[in-house]
Amino acid sequence: MDYDPEGGSINVRFLQADSQRANFIVQNFNLETANALRRTMLAEIPTLAIDVVEVRDNTSVLADEFVCHRLGLVPLSSTGVEELLYARDCDCDGYCDNCSVTLTLNAKCTGSEIMKVYARDLVIESRTPNDELGKPVITDAEGTGSCIVKLRRGQAINMKCIAKKGIAKEHAKWAPSAAIGFEYDPANKLHHLDYWFEEDPEKEWPKDEARINLDGGPPNPDEEFKYDAVPTRFFYDVETVGGIPPDQIVQQGIAVLQVKLAGVLKALSGGTGDAEDFGGAQSPGANGDGYGGMDAGGYTPVGGPAGGYGGASSWGGAAQGGTTPYGATPYGQNW
Amino acid sequence: MLQQKADHDNENRFELFLLDEGQQKVEEKAETRVPNTSVFTFNKEDHTLGNLLAQRLLKNPAVMFAAYKVPHPLFATFELRVQTDGTVTPKEAVMETCRLVIQDLSRLNESFQTEWLGKRIVSEGEVERQQREHNNY
Ligand SMILES: [Zn+2]
Repeated sequence: MDYDPEGGSINVRFLQADSQRANFIVQNFNLETANALRRTMLAEIPTLAIDVVEVRDNTSVLADEFVCHRLGLVPLSSTGVEELLYARDCDCDGYCDNCSVTLTLNAKCTGSEIMKVYARDLVIESRTPNDELGKPVITDAEGTGSCIVKLRRGQAINMKCIAKKGIAKEHAKWAPSAAIGFEYDPANKLHHLDYWFEEDPEKEWPKDEARINLDGGPPNPDEEFKYDAVPTRFFYDVETVGGIPPDQIVQQGIAVLQVKLAGVLKALSGGTGDAEDFGGAQSPGANGDGYGGMDAGGYTPVGGPAGGYGGASSWGGAAQGGTTPYGATPYGQNW
Repeated sequence: MLQQKADHDNENRFELFLLDEGQQKVEEKAETRVPNTSVFTFNKEDHTLGNLLAQRLLKNPAVMFAAYKVPHPLFATFELRVQTDGTVTPKEAVMETCRLVIQDLSRLNESFQTEWLGKRIVSEGEVERQQREHNNY
């Protein structure tokens, strides 16, 4: 259907690649795997976030719970989280250096000016596997990070924060990405969208010409509608919160999904008892290496009409923990 | 000393992805009334895997029916029903599908890494070039 310079194999083409964003196109791919990868990147990549807080002192105007919640949402560097155990898998009682990073936030306002306590004021107190892990992510020009609380003269805050490894399925504070753009068929040639309109959707809806040109150009009006055509080109825009670089989010997403599938294989091939070793979320440290060699078995995908329930309804729906919390979080903002 | 969880609503959300004591990841139940048909119950999984497997199974010519459902939104489980033409068992079909997707992801990963490095080098070169031109003025 479309001109394909790379041949028929799965390939990636980058539009933008920097420390914040990976904007790329995957070609010759399929919708179900593309979407599974999107969902995995949103919800199942392990990162580090503050999970338990010991409030030693808090005379600020904000309630303990309020400040603790804000602390949980502060993005921390997740460089090398794979070296950290999940606290629930650790032998220790509560937390230790093998399964957590301890940070303290200690500030007291003595002057007449209002004092702002920022993410940068979080200090790592425990021994960490590397120098980066657990550092608050600072991306703003002032180098402060987000403001956690304001103090007036005589007010103080002193908190011991235990940061643990987790995934966004449990709480959105563990989400590695601030947003993941995902799109296919920008010209709507496949008619997966049914545009609402007053008189003429062609006139009333904006078009992303640049993107349509990256996807084989606008539809040819003389061409008959191909009812059995399927999308093969997917536009991703992965933006990191700052804890993991964007390329690592994608690679980890791929690895976590592979481990998940390997877990299914293991469970089905009669691996009884220790199926939980492969429960996907628990062992993302095991990278997806070594699967590539498996026999393809001469199987060719057939692009037939795909029926069955549970199909289309589940796409946009339930990216758990994915969307809602971002707008409300103070990432990179100063009040 | 007062200890606070950094989040307060639901304390048991790990139940979404951690298997219960003694629970299996996948349970297969053969459909006795229909030939070559099984219903697989996946525990602690959701649409991410359900949709992926169901849709991918449909591309296997030996598979006559494949679909999944989440019986209840509050329970982290889904059921995958698979019927084959008899040349392979439903279990073999599911396993083959898993292998194929793993391979696809490996190919994607390879291409992604190569292209990422290439694009990074180009972008950094671009930044340097701009800085040089900037200094010339
Ligand atoms: Zn521990």
